Amino acid sequence: MADATTPKALDSARFSVSKGLLTVAISTIVLFALSALVAPSSVSQGAVLGMLPFAAVLAIVGLGQMLVVQQGGIDLSVPGAVSLAIVVISHQPNGDDARLLPAVLTSLLFAVIAGALNGFMIGRLGLNAIIATLGTNALFFGAVLAISKGIPRTVTDLLSHVAGRLTFGIPNSVYFALVILVIVTVVVRKTVAGRRFEASGASPAAARATGLRVRTHRGLAYVWAQLLYAIAGMLLAGITLQPTAFQGNEYLLPSVAVVVLGGTSLLGGRGYPGATVVAALFLSQLDQFVLALGVPFAVRTLVQAAALAIGVAIYTVNWKAVRQRFTGRRSQAVPAGS
Amino acid sequence: MNIQTTAPATVATLSMTGISKSFAGVAALTDVSLEVLPGEVHALLGENGAGKSTLMNIATGTLRPDAGAMTVRGEPADDLNPREAARRGIAIVHQHPAVLPDMTVLENLLVALPSTVFPKGVSVEDTASALLARVGLRVHLRDRVEQLSVAQKHLLEIAKALAVDPALLVLDEPTAPLGQESVDLLFALVRRAVADGTSVVYITHRLAEVRELADRVTVLRDGKLRATAVVSEISDHDLLALIVGRQLDSTFPPKHVAGADEQPNLVISGLTGRGFTNVSVQARPGEIVGVSGVVGNGQSDLLRALAGLEPFEGTATVGVSSLSSKELLARAAYLPADRHSEGLMMRLSVRENAAVSALRRFKQRVLMNRKRELAMVGDTLGSLSVKAASMDAAVSSLSGGNQQKVMVARALLSEPILVLADEPTQGVDVGARAEIYGILREVSASGVPVIIASSDAKELEGLCDTVIVMSRGHVVDTLRGDAITEERMIHAAVSSTTRTVSTDDVREQDRPPTARALGFRRFMQGDYAPAVLLVAVMVGLGAYIFSTNDRYLGDFNIQSMLLLVSALGFIALGQTIALLTGGIDLSVGPLAGLLVVVASFFIVEESAATSLVLGFLAMLAVSIAVGLINGSLIRFGRFTAIAATLTTYIAVQGVSFLLRDSPGGYISGDVSRLITTKLGPIPAAFIVLVAVTIGLEFALRKSRWGWNLRAAGSDEESARRVGVNINRTVVLGYVATSVLTFGGAIMLMAQLGIGDPSQGVTYTLSSITAVVLGGTSLLGGRGTFVGTILGALLLVQVLNATVFLGLDQMWQYILQGTLILAAAILYSLARSRRARRTKKA
Repeated sequence: MADATTPKALDSARFSVSKGLLTVAISTIVLFALSALVAPSSVSQGAVLGMLPFAAVLAIVGLGQMLVVQQGGIDLSVPGAVSLAIVVISHQPNGDDARLLPAVLTSLLFAVIAGALNGFMIGRLGLNAIIATLGTNALFFGAVLAISKGIPRTVTDLLSHVAGRLTFGIPNSVYFALVILVIVTVVVRKTVAGRRFEASGASPAAARATGLRVRTHRGLAYVWAQLLYAIAGMLLAGITLQPTAFQGNEYLLPSVAVVVLGGTSLLGGRGYPGATVVAALFLSQLDQFVLALGVPFAVRTLVQAAALAIGVAIYTVNWKAVRQRFTGRRSQAVPAGS
Repeated sequence: MNIQTTAPATVATLSMTGISKSFAGVAALTDVSLEVLPGEVHALLGENGAGKSTLMNIATGTLRPDAGAMTVRGEPADDLNPREAARRGIAIVHQHPAVLPDMTVLENLLVALPSTVFPKGVSVEDTASALLARVGLRVHLRDRVEQLSVAQKHLLEIAKALAVDPALLVLDEPTAPLGQESVDLLFALVRRAVADGTSVVYITHRLAEVRELADRVTVLRDGKLRATAVVSEISDHDLLALIVGRQLDSTFPPKHVAGADEQPNLVISGLTGRGFTNVSVQARPGEIVGVSGVVGNGQSDLLRALAGLEPFEGTATVGVSSLSSKELLARAAYLPADRHSEGLMMRLSVRENAAVSALRRFKQRVLMNRKRELAMVGDTLGSLSVKAASMDAAVSSLSGGNQQKVMVARALLSEPILVLADEPTQGVDVGARAEIYGILREVSASGVPVIIASSDAKELEGLCDTVIVMSRGHVVDTLRGDAITEERMIHAAVSSTTRTVSTDDVREQDRPPTARALGFRRFMQGDYAPAVLLVAVMVGLGAYIFSTNDRYLGDFNIQSMLLLVSALGFIALGQTIALLTGGIDLSVGPLAGLLVVVASFFIVEESAATSLVLGFLAMLAVSIAVGLINGSLIRFGRFTAIAATLTTYIAVQGVSFLLRDSPGGYISGDVSRLITTKLGPIPAAFIVLVAVTIGLEFALRKSRWGWNLRAAGSDEESARRVGVNINRTVVLGYVATSVLTFGGAIMLMAQLGIGDPSQGVTYTLSSITAVVLGGTSLLGGRGTFVGTILGALLLVQVLNATVFLGLDQMWQYILQGTLILAAAILYSLARSRRARRTKKA
């Protein structure tokens, strides 16, 4: 093979579209088309503007969960973390716009502490992610109740403007989600630390053998995730105006679902931020669609489960082998035992 | 060429004739014949890759030959599988013991051996002790296998093989991990087995062992039979000549011509670490150092230490400076032998893999400069002639040779001060081999020291300027210049009589002073230590609350607590099973809710008896169905346990809401009263729960169901090798989880009194909490039902305590969270201290 022919220089595409993004994007387009045909009210301006802020919040939470999942972990402390941000941002300023910024900083500080706690236990002590985040979730809710005493408060006007208003006809929260998407993507794909982070998740053993600090990356993932949950929580507070202390509970399962639908494996590996965000849009519109159809809440849940099952099966099941097995059986071309 | 042997008059124990086998078109065995006579030790010699293991895998039914015939004790055995082979009396001791780390020695014997081994009338312990005594394995039957040394695990494996009184025993390099005493013991064992009429096939690399033990010897080379001879009639020299002399197709670059006065740029002196001892070697600029020896004699350990991945003593000097582990980790480039798990990030692209060690070089201010990265990576890949669809192609799609080149590219891009390549041409085609040799030579010529470990002596002969030969961690020979020949290397490796470095000997285990101390330690390391801890915490907490409020132990409070425990307890028992298999079941909470909703259609006021029965049957059927779905998604759909049970979680909740969109259907008061019947202050249901727990605990320890369940969760691969049907075990495990949830749902039904689709979900997390508190491992294979029930009790007690102590809801959360984390940290620390456990993938 060491011959005269010089091999062609290898090239690299500037942009590539992952299988996950393609799948979820097509599904979303189909869903919107279906919505427009079957239940036009679900794509009315009002419906879409009502749906988008919540899609944006889910997208941000999902991005956080994705960072953890791509390091082979899982974060069950999402509800506590989101709720904590909600109560800090709604209770600390107590309606006073001037005290909003300190509240934001407090919230982010809490997020860093919470993330460091998770990261230390999982990255350093080697605890199982499920147990550790199950425990911290309870602690976070302890803090939530300590701050709020279980009484909801109305957020400041400034927050409701920043989080809830429209700019150029699009809800502000959407801009937040997009900016965060860009930041996550650029940091992971375009910085030294991000590339190492990605490599650590893709193969901890190989990353370790090349000298990367796998456990540090694994631990830090929980810090990044908490920061995103905090931002999502604050936005959610601004959107709902008078948020309750347990609003975070609604985001645990969907956060895992959007990560899985986006094609990130729960066993760890590469994370797909774009696909995760589109998956959040998909799930949110699915709600709208089913709502507009007037079918019971139950159907919506079942459709979600089906979407999730199909979403996972696309990646886990070896469809080529399944196909071969069936065609092979029919034509008897493949001997038994293949 | 063949040395003739006297024709045997007896029927051969194993006869293989004309066996051929290829893998993906590459011949591993060509027309090999082997005859093993009754009562003989037949040594099988040959280099790595000569086909010894393949031949024995065929003999034991693990592989099917492409051509050839086999007979076992005179009867044709052409479609052999492992089970059939075992039935015919063929037993093999693999190089890697198929033992289950989380289970005890006794349980390992029980799960792996047919029940016929344990005769009725004799206690199982006595039989097992006799099996261990036979191989001289001095461990307690209740010791956990993960605490055994490698040598002890091997002896356990040998005990398992001998237990079935095999007609043919295959030992695959059995002495590799053993110390001198164990080796003597093993030899005595083999001789005794042979005296009893067993035939032994003994795979080895060591001539001394052949001489000591074997009657006849067969030598393989390149998958072909070289000769079979009577050991006493053949000289070492002739044997060596049969082993070596392999033809190599690759061409090598010319060797380095050293200047006379050049100073060494690589000096390794007195390097000692795990797996190797006192290794010294030096090389001058341009020279390539080879590390030779039979696989697993410390070569890889040496390279890993030099890569900074493992600690070492002694000095490694590159150029003029002596380097620490940390510096080596940052600046040496290491190419592991196992490309798939450790060498490359298979999910990432060619570009990302090649660039990963050199990312800083592509940085421009904050971000990476894409152009620079593409240019430099592209140049390097191009100079190595890496063939791939594009730089974006997944590295897993490349051929072995190109993958190896990507690893070399990664090494070169990182501008290393030292290159360490472990088996750089394993699984690489001939053409690419020559290219890789050329590249390594170029790297070396550029002044970067290169060390190559290879089990292929011919390769080192062609490539290296200095070769050290390692055996059991020691350097047994250092060759330079013309002395570097395959013969010399193999001679040094096979005739070495050194023993393993690691003091990993069976008899060298320190004997603890007293039996009582030993028993205490065993208990603390056992499964039931968490249970005792929980009881202590509960008694302490209970005493404290009672001291502040004497109504705490009143009938009413005890009753209400135990009723709560009953619902949670059943579900947590189910969750324990899921965790024991190494999975998790998130769907238990919604399932409990759904079952109550189902009940609310049948088991209502004024229902007829048939309706009641139908109701319970419907609940049971639904739970079984959900369990089957969970198990099937995990085993057949290859979902992770979280993904699968999250899907059913959502679906089951959907079904609940489909059946009832709001609470409705009052549960029959009579049935509820029946369920909550009390015997004194104790609810009958709680007594049932305790009985079920004891029953399950017993089954987990003493029945094949329990062993299989824990075996599957402990180590799937080993479990499969000892004959556990993993799919069936795990799927039925999830069914059991759901059926126990059904038990919890009955209690929940009586508590709720109405079909409410939104109830039940909280049981998912609380059941996991209870199980974790009980000390069951989320890694699978280890746990107790008793601990789970105690965990459930403690959880309920803590929540109840907040009421009695006048604490608000906040404290419920804080106490719950603290409890989980404290338990997790405590158990995890206890575990990591005792374990040298092999990491699970």
